[in-house]
Amino acid sequence: MDPWVAELRRGRTDAAWDLFLDRYRRVIFAAIRHYAQDYDDVMDVFAQVCESLREADLKRLRSYFDRQSHTARFSTWLVTVVRHLTVDWFRHRDGRRRLSTVAGELPPLRRRIFEFLFISKRSHVESYELLKSSDGFDLTFGQFLAEVSATYRAVAAGRRGRILRELGGPAPPLEEIEDEQASPGERRAELEDALSCLTPEERVAVELYVVEEMPADAVAKVVGWPNAKAVYNHVYRALAAMRTRLERAGLRVNL
Amino acid sequence: MKTDPARLDRLRGYFHTGETPIAKPDCLDEHTVAALADGTLDAETRGRALVHLATCALCRRAVASVAEALADGPITHEIEIVEGRRRRGGPLVRIAVPLAAAATVLLLLWSPADDRSPGHRGPPPPPATTPILRSPVGAVSAAKELRWSHVAGADRYRVTVFDATGGVVFAADVSDTVVAFPDSIVLVPDVSYLWKVDARTGFDRWATSELTEFRIAGPRRR
Repeated sequence: MDPWVAELRRGRTDAAWDLFLDRYRRVIFAAIRHYAQDYDDVMDVFAQVCESLREADLKRLRSYFDRQSHTARFSTWLVTVVRHLTVDWFRHRDGRRRLSTVAGELPPLRRRIFEFLFISKRSHVESYELLKSSDGFDLTFGQFLAEVSATYRAVAAGRRGRILRELGGPAPPLEEIEDEQASPGERRAELEDALSCLTPEERVAVELYVVEEMPADAVAKVVGWPNAKAVYNHVYRALAAMRTRLERAGLRVNL
Repeated sequence: MKTDPARLDRLRGYFHTGETPIAKPDCLDEHTVAALADGTLDAETRGRALVHLATCALCRRAVASVAEALADGPITHEIEIVEGRRRRGGPLVRIAVPLAAAATVLLLLWSPADDRSPGHRGPPPPPATTPILRSPVGAVSAAKELRWSHVAGADRYRVTVFDATGGVVFAADVSDTVVAFPDSIVLVPDVSYLWKVDARTGFDRWATSELTEFRIAGPRRR
């Protein structure tokens, strides 16, 4: 048994905390740095994490050991807790205003694209027309679409992209103009109907692999399939089944 | 399945509503999220969790986020240390041990006994079996990239940069002998950093470079 756990069980919470922090400080910092890049942010989140873990005589840490059985490793559980607290900290401080901060660091054309598409939620055609008429950018629609993809890649990459995804945006761009006919909400409702023909495992695999961009082997671990190949096969078949269902309903979605 | 990035982007666009999901009373607790990411839930519990996960974007995001974090080099590194699968060997120890070894060799080379010996040649130097760190080394004006020597038979290199407390500042796995240092990591001028490279030379076989110090030279003061 770890010395800090022994102290925790003896009820000596101060000693337990000191030993815990000595052992796990670097894991906590590494987990925070996964999401936060600014030094001040990292230190503020670390203080918040310590406060949260320490409150009520280490209640949160005790909750792990109070369980009858442990299916998760302590270190994974700790990373999960730190991730939760870090995202909460950013959510309270920034909310979706963080999107504007990101836009400020892009070149002028991409900054405008970002503002139109991801903040103002305008359509592609509308954004393209505004870029040409109001902002005076001279580019073809094809060039515009290429810039849209590049803009998305720029903001979704790295640690900044990670915290942005945690805060709920932005969505990847759709390239087909006809898809602009339906709102994201309507499109999602159509997909929800098609997803209902899948088993929970298949549905989770599709969502994790497609939306969350998880590697196939990590998805296999979550859903309990043997390997990445099983994920490819299941997801491929699931998307085919969804496509058939959507076509039967008279909808054309290019899955 | 073809993993065409454009097609996947398009699919993501279809699935993404741009709305922030809201927590529900039956959302998975941190223990279950961690166990799902670890892949350690028993079949029955996993089945129940997947039923919830199928309809909860918030919990899916949490599982995906934790799984991604667990695959992140610096986190993996630190977890392996606390779980005893890797030794820390603090920077001071790592510097002191090679220095002590070098001092011992020097003492032997300078021993008066050498003067009396008939001048045997020592064994030829061994081939480079560990990476030799090229740059940055010592005081440098900037560290835009990290460069080291090639190791015969190595198919992968793991680069780790530590700060003075032994915390991992940067870690990356690459196949080349150079890696760009991310702009997002700000190195403090006149503060020592240490770095090393592990070269994978076979299944689970790694050859480690010397731990080497560098620092960004600060502006000159009058």
